[in-house]
Amino acid sequence: MIIAKNVTKYFGGFKALKNVSFEIKKGEIVGFLGQNGAGKTTIMRILTSYLPATSGEVIIAGQDVSKNSLAIRRKIGYLPETPPLYSNMTVRDYLKFAAQLKNIPAKQQGVQIDKVLDECSLKSVQDKTIGIISKGYKQRVGIAQAILNDPEVLILDEPTIGLDPVQIIQVRNLIKSLEYKRTVILSTHILSEIQQIAQRVLIIKSGKIVVDETLENLLKQPGANLEDIFLRLHSAKENE
Amino acid sequence: MNKIFAIALKELKEYFKSPIAYIVLIVTISIFNIFFFLIIDQGQEASLRDVFKIMEFLFIFIVPLLTMKTFAEEKFSGTMEFLMTTPTTNTTIVLGKYLGSLIFFTLIIGLTTSYYFIIEFFSQPQPRVVLAGYLGLWLEGALFIAIGMLASSLTKNQIVAAISSYVVLFLLYFSISFIKYFSGPSATLIRYVGTWSHAENFAVGIITTADLVYYLSGILICILFTRLSIENRLWR
Repeated sequence: MIIAKNVTKYFGGFKALKNVSFEIKKGEIVGFLGQNGAGKTTIMRILTSYLPATSGEVIIAGQDVSKNSLAIRRKIGYLPETPPLYSNMTVRDYLKFAAQLKNIPAKQQGVQIDKVLDECSLKSVQDKTIGIISKGYKQRVGIAQAILNDPEVLILDEPTIGLDPVQIIQVRNLIKSLEYKRTVILSTHILSEIQQIAQRVLIIKSGKIVVDETLENLLKQPGANLEDIFLRLHSAKENE
Repeated sequence: MNKIFAIALKELKEYFKSPIAYIVLIVTISIFNIFFFLIIDQGQEASLRDVFKIMEFLFIFIVPLLTMKTFAEEKFSGTMEFLMTTPTTNTTIVLGKYLGSLIFFTLIIGLTTSYYFIIEFFSQPQPRVVLAGYLGLWLEGALFIAIGMLASSLTKNQIVAAISSYVVLFLLYFSISFIKYFSGPSATLIRYVGTWSHAENFAVGIITTADLVYYLSGILICILFTRLSIENRLWR
């Protein structure tokens, strides 16, 4: 479904991604794990064609991101790190605007909006202005926007950041409830989150992929837990 | 095409949900009305020529306030990432935003059409001259908006966007004042690039192809550059 081959990205002289390659199959839920600044957001932005890669290629559903970006954007739902919301619109107006931009036919827009409002438990705030609702709601509006066009691929950049524990659980459950339908990529630096949601983990360190394993394999060794592995990886590399 | 209207409508709604739209509308129209009264009170001539001149001058101050947020705010709040990752072309985004600001500006001008009926009550103005004047005024504003939008697309900061558009608009508007220091081709060039000589023709009822080409090509160039400036593929 998603193939990245030798993706490298420079920001000026800074090499943000170094020959990143991975393959994600249809229906998989993959967690990108890494410290702040490791390159998670950059990878996601390249996958969504928001940023171009300096070299290498990304193929989603058989099409090259740099060549058929419009076709691919139709199949992708994306929640950036900060939910991209217009604070003076109501939740419903915002989703309506998103539906128009995502090529949802006018007749289906209402139905589709009601569906995502339901899925994200946003019915009660649908007529409220986005600026005044809580962070948890905002995050869910961001997710609602991402799943509005029933995307085949869902890319969520730190979907639970800045939420309180109850909200985190709500958002996690929401993501879990979506998983059977589509390929999901999410990034986080909360380790337990990956354990609860993902089937496979890609650990990124300073723009390189250092681990690409299923969660099952990774935790096979007795007594292994993700936190130890993560910390070991980071300290080991730093000592080199 | 529908998406252009969707974006334009969103822009318009945003104008009217923030106080700035009302402040701009009320202040602008009040100032226009005061000057209109002063000019009419002197009872000079049955045309809106002087009124147009003042409106044109005030647009330099008003338009950057309208356009400063078009792209700068989207970039700042991260919604640009949303716009650009939906299946919407950059051209559509730029045209939608331009149309939104243009409609709001047209509304301001539209509110001044009552002036025509007021002067008609006192004298016999020539409708064609007044219409040409309005066309010139509208084109001038349309060019200012395109320039303001381009400035906004180059920065994340609304203040920077507004100030850089002020600088460009002042240069365009006042370039005629510096013409005496130049001669030959450079003087001709300055005369052509500045807005003064073009707006003047419209105000006296003369519509020439050269003036139309000036405004339309200026608008087109700014739109194209805006389109280029939001293209991440080129810059990042």
